[in-house]
Amino acid sequence: MFRTRSSLVITGLLASLFAAAALAADLQSPDTVKMGLHILAGVYGDMDRKLAAEQYDRLPHENQEFQEGSGALRDAVAHEPAAFKGKVEADLKETLAAAQKVADTSKTHDKTQVSAALAALASSMKTLNALFPEALRAEPGTVDPPWMQHGGKAPPPNK
Amino acid sequence: MMKGRALKVAVSAQCASRRTVLLAAFAIPFGYSVKALSAAPKKQVQLDIASDGDLLAFKPDQLTCPTRAAVHLTFTHTGKYITQDHNWVLTVPGAAEAVAQAAMAAEEHSGWTPRGDKRVLAATPPCGKGQHVSVDFTAPAPGDYPFLCTTPGHGAVMHGILHVTPN
Repeated sequence: MFRTRSSLVITGLLASLFAAAALAADLQSPDTVKMGLHILAGVYGDMDRKLAAEQYDRLPHENQEFQEGSGALRDAVAHEPAAFKGKVEADLKETLAAAQKVADTSKTHDKTQVSAALAALASSMKTLNALFPEALRAEPGTVDPPWMQHGGKAPPPNK
Repeated sequence: MMKGRALKVAVSAQCASRRTVLLAAFAIPFGYSVKALSAAPKKQVQLDIASDGDLLAFKPDQLTCPTRAAVHLTFTHTGKYITQDHNWVLTVPGAAEAVAQAAMAAEEHSGWTPRGDKRVLAATPPCGKGQHVSVDFTAPAPGDYPFLCTTPGHGAVMHGILHVTPN
């Protein structure tokens, strides 16, 4: 009895995983999705640099960019099947709430609190990224390392 | 006879000196104008650059022009979602990061550009989403010159190089 129920649960999980993978693999505009995820990761990187420089007053601006930039991902999944679109929008909503929390805690000028809020944002972005194929993802902290984005060419002469 | 020859020599000497004066009168301004021409920009160059959509990057991130060219650069903000302004600031080699820091202190009302900073060779005004701005400047001596967006935080990733070639 127990084995039958376990098998059913595992089969159900596998089926839903395959269904999600199939949905993701058949994205209608993968390039736009990739762009949307990169925009968010880029703004996250900017937030991270502001925190490192303790420029707390700039963090609400970065949150504004994050909220605006999320429009790219929302548009990118606009014509996807309702179930997948709903999942993306739900995760995106949590990510946007986490970004708002970064802006809210920045008013405290407390590095520990802001760091925790930024870590929570990174975590929710990872969850959001996991909905998409690996080739399209832009994990927080992996986009645009400073002064290194010249396609493998030498960095600018000021470094 | 001798008197007449002496007079001829004296007259020809006078003529020669008048010729010299005349030649000098022509040569001096001509010399100046040659000098002025050689200092003038030799070529008119149009450079176009844009933001990479809503990403914090320039497209292209490498530009090239000959030294002393009269450059007209146009920057276009191709972002669709993010309203944050961008600009294009050319600095002397080795100064990009310091200029980015100085821009932060310069604040928004100055277009995030430190005024009168000798490390800044050229700068556009801030450019909003969907707009374009321009700047004119004379290309400096041959070398690689960094450019960046000085909106706070952008310069660390939104930057590139202007390669100035010898003529």
